[in-house]
Amino acid sequence: MKKILKISWRNIWRNKIRSSIIIIAIIIGIMGGIFSGAIRLAAEKQQFEEAVDNRTSHIQVHHPKFVANPEARFYIKNGIHIAKEIEAIDGVHSVSERSVVEGMVASANLNAGVRIKGVDALAEALTTNLNSLITEGTYFENEGRLPSIIIGEALANTINVSVGSRIVLTFQDIKGEMISASFVVEGLYKLSSRRFEESTVFIQSKNIYDLIGKEKHVTEIAVVIDDVDNYRLMAEKIRKAFPELDVKHWADMEPSLYYSLEFLNQNLIWMVGIIILGVSFGLFNTILMSVLERVKEFGILMAIGMKRTKVFLMIIFETIMLSFIAGVSGLILSYGMIRHFKVKGINLEGVGAEGLEDFGYATVLYLDLDPQMYFQIGIMVMVFAVLAAVYPAVKAIRLSPVEAVRSE
Amino acid sequence: MKTVIETKNLVKVYNGGVAPVKAVNNVNIKFNEGEFTAIVGPSGSGKTTFLNLIGGLDKPTDGEIFIENVDISKLKERKLFDFRLKNIGFVFQSYNLIPVLTAKENVSFIMLLQKMKSNEMNKRAEELLQAVGLGDKMDVRPSKLSGGQQQRVAVARALASKPKFILADEPTANLDTQSALNLLDIMARLNKEENITLLFSTHDQRVIDRARRVVTLIDGAVSEDVNK
Repeated sequence: MKKILKISWRNIWRNKIRSSIIIIAIIIGIMGGIFSGAIRLAAEKQQFEEAVDNRTSHIQVHHPKFVANPEARFYIKNGIHIAKEIEAIDGVHSVSERSVVEGMVASANLNAGVRIKGVDALAEALTTNLNSLITEGTYFENEGRLPSIIIGEALANTINVSVGSRIVLTFQDIKGEMISASFVVEGLYKLSSRRFEESTVFIQSKNIYDLIGKEKHVTEIAVVIDDVDNYRLMAEKIRKAFPELDVKHWADMEPSLYYSLEFLNQNLIWMVGIIILGVSFGLFNTILMSVLERVKEFGILMAIGMKRTKVFLMIIFETIMLSFIAGVSGLILSYGMIRHFKVKGINLEGVGAEGLEDFGYATVLYLDLDPQMYFQIGIMVMVFAVLAAVYPAVKAIRLSPVEAVRSE
Repeated sequence: MKTVIETKNLVKVYNGGVAPVKAVNNVNIKFNEGEFTAIVGPSGSGKTTFLNLIGGLDKPTDGEIFIENVDISKLKERKLFDFRLKNIGFVFQSYNLIPVLTAKENVSFIMLLQKMKSNEMNKRAEELLQAVGLGDKMDVRPSKLSGGQQQRVAVARALASKPKFILADEPTANLDTQSALNLLDIMARLNKEENITLLFSTHDQRVIDRARRVVTLIDGAVSEDVNK
């Protein structure tokens, strides 16, 4: 067996150019497959992280009628108390109770429909990291004459305001009466989701309580849990504890994102696999060519007594070695590539990324790939390579020694 | 004298062309241990087919081939591979060494297939290469050897398995005169010293001159069998 391995190894390098070309082709195939998979995964993961970290949290709790009809009157009774109970549940990391209403925002000459979120500044920072998203101004630090409001950069552009501008919010109070109040723009936040930026503003809950006419008015409890993979279990736990409330996890709130991620998780390996399959046709061609030009040699080997199984193994070993070199090199280079783009990121600005923002995708993608995926791709390369070698190897062992010896 | 090869009513018919061709036509012949025989005849007379049949590379259409009382025409393929490995040495016209192996590895390879012990294998490979005058070329690959040197490696390889006989199909056809004479000297010496049975198919008068028996085939049949 050692000798057969030795012959196989040397056979690979008989035609250095051909072997090098196929090795490079496999390496490029692996890198291309991994890159395209990783970029897609990064886009989805970043969208997920932003959706969960900055928008939905892992779980949200509402009055059952609030989701379809987000009016102030559909608030959670004893919301503050319930939020504290939820926070005490094992596995819950943090909770932010909010007073959320639909309304209008108006600047001196423009207006827009918005969702107004009255939040506890500290709790919100813990659940959605809103404070870290501020790109201009400050995060609920000012104690001026007018209450502060944090708005998205996109909304600021739409209604033509900046930090320090005065704007007016109009919404219904708990009795359904329209009320208006002036706010000063204290900070602007930036998210990759332009839609969220344009449609969501944050004020402090104490300000909204005064306006809405109800102290401790809570319409939404956002929950962040310790282990994101347990979101279904934790949602069920909260649902059982508060059966009268509507409890939704992030997958319920962002179904398209959920299905997109699920599809990607299950199909990324196949996406990469299709690319590698394409490359393995090249490998098939190389092995077939190398078998066809060695017909006489196989005949000699069989004539002197080398069994067909050993000839078969010799060809398979050649392919395994070739694909192993290419596979390992491809995976190492891919790992380096992913590491590089994990730190540096890929900036899609200027290549149509502005459109992506509208769909909630980030413009700078930080690539990452599950280590298991490298292993799976490595196995896939080897399996495809062996499959590519089977036909040439069978062709070789079907040769009659006497015919093969006679051939030129 | 002990008979090594015996054919009885050996026939090989090829059906590939317009009409069936009898490449070997009812050949009854015996080859004894230690004989140096040249099989001669014009092109298409059936020399190579005859060697392929007694070498177990091809199956006869009819008749029997006994190698020391074993009828190889009845052996199944797997047994035939083993039989060839243990009993028959081949030397081909185009040398046909494994290009990626050195001279010594080419010679050792057949012993490796026989599962010989490593130290024994190395020793014999070295002895054989010394015997064919290539003691200084052991670690050289075939592409760096001349045609004559490659053919001598092929002879050493054929001898490596300690076969009952060696079949050589036009072994000097691609060699210049000096290389051909060197090769024939070596083979004649081995034939004499080690009592190895040699069967050459050849057109080469130099080989015919050295052979102690000359069998002439015409249209697949033995037309003349001369012991010199």
